Amino acid sequence: MIGHNFRLEPAPSAASEETGSGQRLSELLGSQRPEGYAIARQPRVFTFPRDHGPHPEFRNEWWYLTGNLEDERGHRFGYEFTIFRFSLTPFTGEVADPVGSSEWKTDQVYIAHFAVTDGDRKKFYVEQRYARGALGLAGAQSDPFRVWVENWSIAEATGQAAGGRSPENWRIDVGADSLALQLDLRAEKPIILNGVDGLSQKSDEVGNASYYYSIPRLSSSGRIRVGGEQFTVSGTSWLDREWSSSALADDQQGWDWFALQLSDGSDLMYYNLRKTDGSQDRHSAGTWIDKNGKARHLSRDEVQISETDEWVSPRGGTYPGRWEIKVPSLGLVLSVSPILPDQELVTTVRYWEGAVDVEGSRDGQSIRGRGYVELTGYATP
Amino acid sequence: MPALYRASLGYLLRHPWQLALALLGICIGVAVIVAVDLATESSRKAFSLSMETLTGKATHQVIGGPRGVEESLYVQLRVKHGLRSMAPVAEGRVRINGVDVRLLGIDLFAERQIRSFSLDVTADAKAANGVSVTSVENLFGSLLTEPGAALMSTETATMLGLQTGQAFDVEAGGKRFRGSLLGQIGGDPSLLLGELVVVDIAVAQQWLNMAGKLSRIDVRIPAAEPGKREVLENLLPAGTQLLDASSRTRSMTEMSTAFMTNLSAMSLLALLVGLFLIYNSVSFAVLQRRGLIGVLRALGVSRAQTFSLILAEGLALGLVGATAGVLLGIWLGDYLLVLVSRSINDLYFRVTVTDVSISLFTLVKGLLAGLGATLVSAVIPAIEAASYPPRLALSRSVIERRGRQTVPLLALSGVALGLAALFLLNISGSHLVAGLTAVFMLILGFALCVPLAVRIMTFLLAPLAGKLGGTGARLAVSGIEANLSRTGVAIVALAVAVSATIGVSVMVESFRGSVSTWLDRTLQSDLYVAASGAPLDPKLITELVQTQGVAAYSSSRRVWLENPQGRLRLFVLQLAPGRYPGSEILDAEPAQAWNGFEHESGVMISEPLAFRRGLGAGDTISLVTDSGERAFDIVGTFRSYDVNGGAVLISRSSYDRFWDDPAIDSIGLTLVAGAESADVMSRLQAIAQNRQPLVMRSDAEIRELSLRVFDRTFIITDVLYWLATGVAFIGILGAMLALQMERARELAVMRALGMTPFQLGGMVTTQTAVIGLFSGLAAVPLGLVMAWMLIEVINRRAFGWRMDILLSWQVLAVAIAFSVVAAFMAGIYPSWRAASSSPALAMREE
Repeated sequence: MIGHNFRLEPAPSAASEETGSGQRLSELLGSQRPEGYAIARQPRVFTFPRDHGPHPEFRNEWWYLTGNLEDERGHRFGYEFTIFRFSLTPFTGEVADPVGSSEWKTDQVYIAHFAVTDGDRKKFYVEQRYARGALGLAGAQSDPFRVWVENWSIAEATGQAAGGRSPENWRIDVGADSLALQLDLRAEKPIILNGVDGLSQKSDEVGNASYYYSIPRLSSSGRIRVGGEQFTVSGTSWLDREWSSSALADDQQGWDWFALQLSDGSDLMYYNLRKTDGSQDRHSAGTWIDKNGKARHLSRDEVQISETDEWVSPRGGTYPGRWEIKVPSLGLVLSVSPILPDQELVTTVRYWEGAVDVEGSRDGQSIRGRGYVELTGYATP
Repeated sequence: MPALYRASLGYLLRHPWQLALALLGICIGVAVIVAVDLATESSRKAFSLSMETLTGKATHQVIGGPRGVEESLYVQLRVKHGLRSMAPVAEGRVRINGVDVRLLGIDLFAERQIRSFSLDVTADAKAANGVSVTSVENLFGSLLTEPGAALMSTETATMLGLQTGQAFDVEAGGKRFRGSLLGQIGGDPSLLLGELVVVDIAVAQQWLNMAGKLSRIDVRIPAAEPGKREVLENLLPAGTQLLDASSRTRSMTEMSTAFMTNLSAMSLLALLVGLFLIYNSVSFAVLQRRGLIGVLRALGVSRAQTFSLILAEGLALGLVGATAGVLLGIWLGDYLLVLVSRSINDLYFRVTVTDVSISLFTLVKGLLAGLGATLVSAVIPAIEAASYPPRLALSRSVIERRGRQTVPLLALSGVALGLAALFLLNISGSHLVAGLTAVFMLILGFALCVPLAVRIMTFLLAPLAGKLGGTGARLAVSGIEANLSRTGVAIVALAVAVSATIGVSVMVESFRGSVSTWLDRTLQSDLYVAASGAPLDPKLITELVQTQGVAAYSSSRRVWLENPQGRLRLFVLQLAPGRYPGSEILDAEPAQAWNGFEHESGVMISEPLAFRRGLGAGDTISLVTDSGERAFDIVGTFRSYDVNGGAVLISRSSYDRFWDDPAIDSIGLTLVAGAESADVMSRLQAIAQNRQPLVMRSDAEIRELSLRVFDRTFIITDVLYWLATGVAFIGILGAMLALQMERARELAVMRALGMTPFQLGGMVTTQTAVIGLFSGLAAVPLGLVMAWMLIEVINRRAFGWRMDILLSWQVLAVAIAFSVVAAFMAGIYPSWRAASSSPALAMREE
C-alpha cells in the first residue's frame, strides 16, 4: 500500500538512467494540494470490473501485486509489480482540447515498479518505468481490464489460456531482457473491502482516507526470467488496490504493511502506521480473511507487533528485520522473517518491500505461511 | 652566445627597419592563417557541439519524410515492442520577442535516456500563474500542465529579456501563442544552448502545428549491442529511416567544408606573399654582410657554419614573427568569426558562436607555417652566403651578374611549374584541394617568370623613360634591372598580391552577374507570398489566387529529404498553367524536359548536384518516398547557385503521388497586365488579415535580398585580400628601403657628381613607381589566369557552380593604379632618406 506518500526521501543521486530524475519527480508528485480533487470521505459502493479501472478524479491510485513463487525444484522467488497513477491537476471533467492541440497533453502520470527477489541466490532486482498517461504510452481501463506503462502490463486474460472470461483472471507481463515475469493470475478468494466497507481512514482528519480493496489470494503460474535464466514458476499473489487524494498527516512517519497468506487457508493484512515520535498511530488497522473468504476488520487494539531484529540499509536507514505478531482474538502468534534482508527498492523513492516467511501457531496448532511486507519512512540520506 | 651569432644579432639590431618589416610580414601572414582557421573551426565546432548537446546520448535518429515521423510509431515501438532508450522530439523555429529561436519539444519521461540538460533546471521564482515554485519540486508537473511552460538557458533568457516566471508572446507559423518561462537550464557553460527553448512535446506540437507528428525520434543504441539497430530497423515503416546521428551532423557540416577550404586557401595567399617578403629581408641581410662573411670564411668559418648561421637567423626571425602572428591571429580571429559565422548562417546552418575556441592544433599549425615559410625563404640566401669564397668581398655587381645568369633559368622552371599545374588540374578530376594546389603552383610558376619579364620591360622602357624624363628617369628604370635580385622579389610580391585582387574581383563580379541573371530568369512571378515560418493555409491560398489583379499563380514547397547518400533539398513546384519556369536547362531540350517533368514524374537536378554526383539528363536519382526508395528519371539539369549540396526539382503532381504532404510554403503570383502590385498587395493583406500574417515580396525585392546575402558572403573575401595586399605593401617598402640603403654609396656618388637631393629623391620615387607599374602589369595576366582558375576550377570543384566570366577593364585599371600608388607610397620614405643622406658620410661607409 505504498504510494500514499511519494515524498518520502530522496533517491540517491547516482541512480540509474531510469531513476535519475526520481527525486524531483517524487517531490512533484508529493505536492500537497488536494484542493479540487475528489476526497474519500465516506464509504462508497464498489462495482466491478469498473472499480478495477482508474479513478482520475483522485490524485493517486495504485495496482499493487506481490507474490511468492517457486519452480518445480523448489527454487524460491518473490515479486512485486506495482503501477501507480497520479493526477497532476484536479480533475475538471473537461473534454478534449480543440483541434490542432496535441495528443501528448495530459495531467496523468504512471509509474511502475518491478522487483524480484531470488530467494535461493539471495539476490534482489529492481526496475522502474514511467510515462505520461497519453497516446497509449501508459494508462488504465476497466473493461476489458488493463493497466500498463509502456510494455509492462496487468491485463484481463483473453484467449484459450484464460479458460473463459472472468473479471479476476489476469495476466502480468512485465520486464526487460534480463528481468521478466509472465504470470497468469486467478482469484481464489473474493474481493475484500478493507477498513469500513472499503473506506480506510488514515488519520483523524476527515478525508484523510483512501478507498482500499484487496484480493488476498490469486493462484499464480507462469515464467520468470532472472539472472539470465528462465524458470517455470507457480505460487500465490496478493492484490492491493487503493486510491485517494490525501497524504500522510504531518505527525505520521511511515508504515509497516503485512500481507500474509497462511497454511490454514486464512490471510492476514495489517498496516502499522507509525508516528514521527515512534509511537503507533491509532488508525493502524488490518483485515483477517478466513479460508472461505470471509473478512473481519482488525483494529489496532487487537494486534500486537514487536520487532525482534533490525537491518541496517547500506544506503542509509535502519529497518526492522523480524517481527512477532500476536492477534489474541484470533489465537494467532506469528513470527515473520524476510527471506533476504536487503529487499530495499531504490526507485523514485526508497522503501523496503520483500518476501517473508511466516511461522507460528493458531490456537496452539502449528501454522506456516508466506507473504510480503512493506516498510516505508525508514530510509535516511 | 657564440661570436658568430652575436655578430648576427648585432647586425639585425643595427637595422631595425629591416628587422621590423621582416617580422611584420611573417606576423601578418601567420596571423591571417590562424585567424581564418580559428574562425572557421570555431563556427564548425560550435555547430557540432550544439548538435551534440541536442542529440545528447543519442547515437541514431529515426527520421521520416517531409512531414516527419508519425507519433504512433513511437508509441508502438515502446508499448508493443518494448524498445527503450529513445526519446521523441518535436522541433522547429519560433519567434520570441522578435528573436528567432529553436524550439525543442521533449517528453520529460524519456529524456533521461537521451539528454540530461533539459532536466538540469533551476526554477527559483514564480510560475506564470502566480503559484510559487520554491524549488524544482513542481517543475515536472508545471512543465506538463502549465500552458506554454518553457525552459531555456540563462543566456537565452537574458538575450530575450525574460525572467523566470515571466510570460511572453510566441510567434509560430504566423500564429500567436502565450508562453511562460518556467525555469532556467542550469549551470554548465560548456553546453551550447544558445537560442534554444525547451517545452513539453505537447506544447511544441501545438505551437508548430504538427499534431500527430514528430520531427524525429532520438535513439541510443549502445555500441556493444549492434543487433538492436537491426531490430529497430525492421520495425520501421517504409519512408522512415534510421540514421546515424553523428554522421547526420557531419553531413550537415560537410556542406560548409568547401566554403571553409576556400577561406583557408585565401589565408595561405597572405602567407605566400609574406614568403617573398621574408626572402627579401633575409637575402638582403646576407648581401649587406658579404664583406663580413668573406672575412669570416677567411678566418676559418666553414661553409656549413655559414649556411647554418644564416638559416638560424631565418629561424629566429621566423620564431619571433610567427609567435607574434599567432597572437595577432587570435585577436583577429574574433573579428573574422563574426563575418564567417554570419556567412555560415546565411548559407548553411544556424550557429550561434560567441567565443573563438582556441585550438592548440591551429596555433601550432600557424607557428609551423610561419617557421616553415621563413626557413624555405632563408635557404636560398643561406646557400648564397655559404658560396662566398674566403676574403673575396664580392661586389654588388658580381652578385647581380650571378643573379642575371639565373634569370632565364628561373623563368624556365616557372614555365615548368605552370605546366605541372595544368597537368595536375587535368588529372585531379574534381578534387578541390588538388585544384587549390594547382592554383598555388601556377602563382609560383608565374612569379618565377617575373624577373625575366622585368628585364625585358626595362630594356624596352629605359630609352623611352630617358626621352621623357631625362637621365634621372632613365637611371631609375634601368636601375630596376641592374638591381634585379632586389627589385625582382619586390615586384613579384606586389604582383602576386595585386593579381589576387584581380582574380577575386573578376570572380566575384562574374559570380554576381551570373547570380543576378539567374535570379532574373528564375523569378518569373510578379509577387511572392508566404507565411512566416509555416506553410500557407490551403483555404487562404484559394482565396488569395482569386484576388482581383491576379492572372495566374504557381506554388512551391521546400523540404529536406533524408537519403542514403545524404540530405537533399527537394523543391516542389506547381507551375502556372501553360508556363515554364525560366530556369536554364543545361543538358536537355527545355520543352521536352518540362514535359517530362510535368507529366512523367521526371525530376530536374541542380547543377551542383549533377556535378557532385556525376548525374545528368537520362540518369536516375533515388529518393526516399513515403513508401520507400524509388528511382526517379532525371529529365534535365538546371542552373543553380544553391550552397546546400544540391537540390532536386519535382512537380507538385509527382510529389503528391509519392509523398503525403499537401503543404505549400509560398505562391508566386503573376499579375494581370496593368495591375498595380501595391494594390494587389493590400487586397491580399486584407484577405489574410486575422488569419495568417503574410510575407509578400516583389520579384525585385527578392532579387535585392538575395544579392545582399551574396555580397555579405564576400565581405570576408575582401578582408582577406586586403590583408594580403597589406603584406605586399610592407614588402615593397622593405625592398625599397633595402635597395636604397644598399645603394647608399652609389647614390652618394651621384650626389657628388652633382645631382641635387631633389633630383635624387625624384629618381628613387620614380623607380619605385615604375616597380609598381611593372607589378601591376605583371599582375594582369596572372590575375586573369587566377580568375579563370577560381571560376572554372575552384568554384566548380567546391560548389559545382558554373558562371559566365565577366571582365571589366575597370578592374584591371584599378589594379594597376593601385599597385603604382602603393609602390609610390612605399618609396616616399626611402627616397627621403636617400635625398637627405650626406654624400661624404655615405661614401665613407663602405
